[in-house]
Amino acid sequence: MTFLHQLLAGWLGDFGATLLLGAGMILGYLTFNVLFLIWLERKVSAHAQRRLGPMEVGPHGTLQTVADMLKLLSKQLVTPLATDHFTFLFAPILIFIPTICLTSLVPLGDAQAFAEMPNGLAVVVVLSGVTVIAIFMAGWSSNNKYAVLGGMRSVAQVVAYEIPVLLSALSVVLIAQSLNLREIVAGQHVPYVLLEPVAALIYFIGITAETNRAPFDIPEAESELVGGFHTEYTGMRFALFFFAEYTNMLVLGGVGATLFLGGWKGPWVGSLPWLGPLYLLLKAYFVVFLMMWARWTFPRLRFDQLMNFAWKLLIPVALVNLLLTAVVLEALPRP
Amino acid sequence: MNLVRRVLVGLKSLLVGLGVTGRHMVRPAVTLQYPHELPDVSRWGGPIELVTFPETGTHDCIACNACTRICPSDCFDIAGVRAPGLKKMRATRFVLDFSTCSLCGLCIDVCPTDTLKYSAHFDDAAYHREQTMNDLLAPFGQDPYLSGRLQ
Repeated sequence: MTFLHQLLAGWLGDFGATLLLGAGMILGYLTFNVLFLIWLERKVSAHAQRRLGPMEVGPHGTLQTVADMLKLLSKQLVTPLATDHFTFLFAPILIFIPTICLTSLVPLGDAQAFAEMPNGLAVVVVLSGVTVIAIFMAGWSSNNKYAVLGGMRSVAQVVAYEIPVLLSALSVVLIAQSLNLREIVAGQHVPYVLLEPVAALIYFIGITAETNRAPFDIPEAESELVGGFHTEYTGMRFALFFFAEYTNMLVLGGVGATLFLGGWKGPWVGSLPWLGPLYLLLKAYFVVFLMMWARWTFPRLRFDQLMNFAWKLLIPVALVNLLLTAVVLEALPRP
Repeated sequence: MNLVRRVLVGLKSLLVGLGVTGRHMVRPAVTLQYPHELPDVSRWGGPIELVTFPETGTHDCIACNACTRICPSDCFDIAGVRAPGLKKMRATRFVLDFSTCSLCGLCIDVCPTDTLKYSAHFDDAAYHREQTMNDLLAPFGQDPYLSGRLQ
């Protein structure tokens, strides 16, 4: 890795080499991650229903998603006549950009994050809100009533659930006294999920809603809205939405692991620093697995139930939790 | 207070639901990996076929047309000849139109030589109606009685 970096730095300069290598590594890993997560999703759903899931392509169907991707790559791209062309083509690309940015912010180890920011958590919160613009662009530009409905539902939902996510993250910030993701991890001598179980639960519910996954998947509720915002998308453009959904799951799971599960911390990580990224990934995938488990267990909520749940329950509970955290922290003697 | 109770009860029901799927996740699958694993067809009654008797290595259809007469759906098309030096007839044509067969089994009951039975075929499929005409003599090849190999 260092050798490659030096080689590239000869041509592009130090900054360019880091940028190129980082982007390449992140994109490469994210592609693998999506293929793995789709396979995992199908396996989890299958085993929850006592089936085996994909078994034919590769051992235990591990190459099934590769075959699916090749099929999607080779499919014709159909653009309906009445779409808003620029927006229609731009939305699948835009949905992807914030997710990649988010990936680079998550600290992989004691000193490793592709981009470290002093107030990283604020950037994470802002960036995860950008996705919804892309979803709404896709829904609006499709010129299809189901797509518009899906897009509008998505906006309402993400705006509502962003708040409890933010509030639960804030209670972690209060304990850690920092918005810097690396310092938040460094301060976690016990995983914050033990100190802030309510906040962790609210965060989990919130990210499930933000990634538009069941039981909060009303923006693409098949039974009511055909495919929701991606009804009119075909081939690789549709795949990009899929790609973004699963990448988002991993990244928000990774942020959740950073905030509540101790990030890259784990046994023997002090002597073997390469264990750090491994621990982080394991924890992130654990959160993702929980999201999948929930998806294949719970039925979809109705839209008004969903909004009531966010505004009347999650936000008040998150506020009270934040307040309690602040009071307890004030009452405790400062170290 | 009522709200708190509702939230707690709801939370518990969600956990119970997760428990149900969680338990199923670690249990073995109940589905069959179809092309690789085949189901137990020992009690299955598939399309009618002719019995191969181990003593002669062939069927024993004498083209008596008892099945043709009893068939409620008029499925059979049977023809036969008297083999040289043989008392009984031998079927030369035995076609069953499976598209009209209701698998009632009357032909099996009425067959005087017990040479009809339900087959174990459970995955027959066809694209055209002509393909549902099952030539039941096709698997037997040349008739050993008619060729004089058996007396």
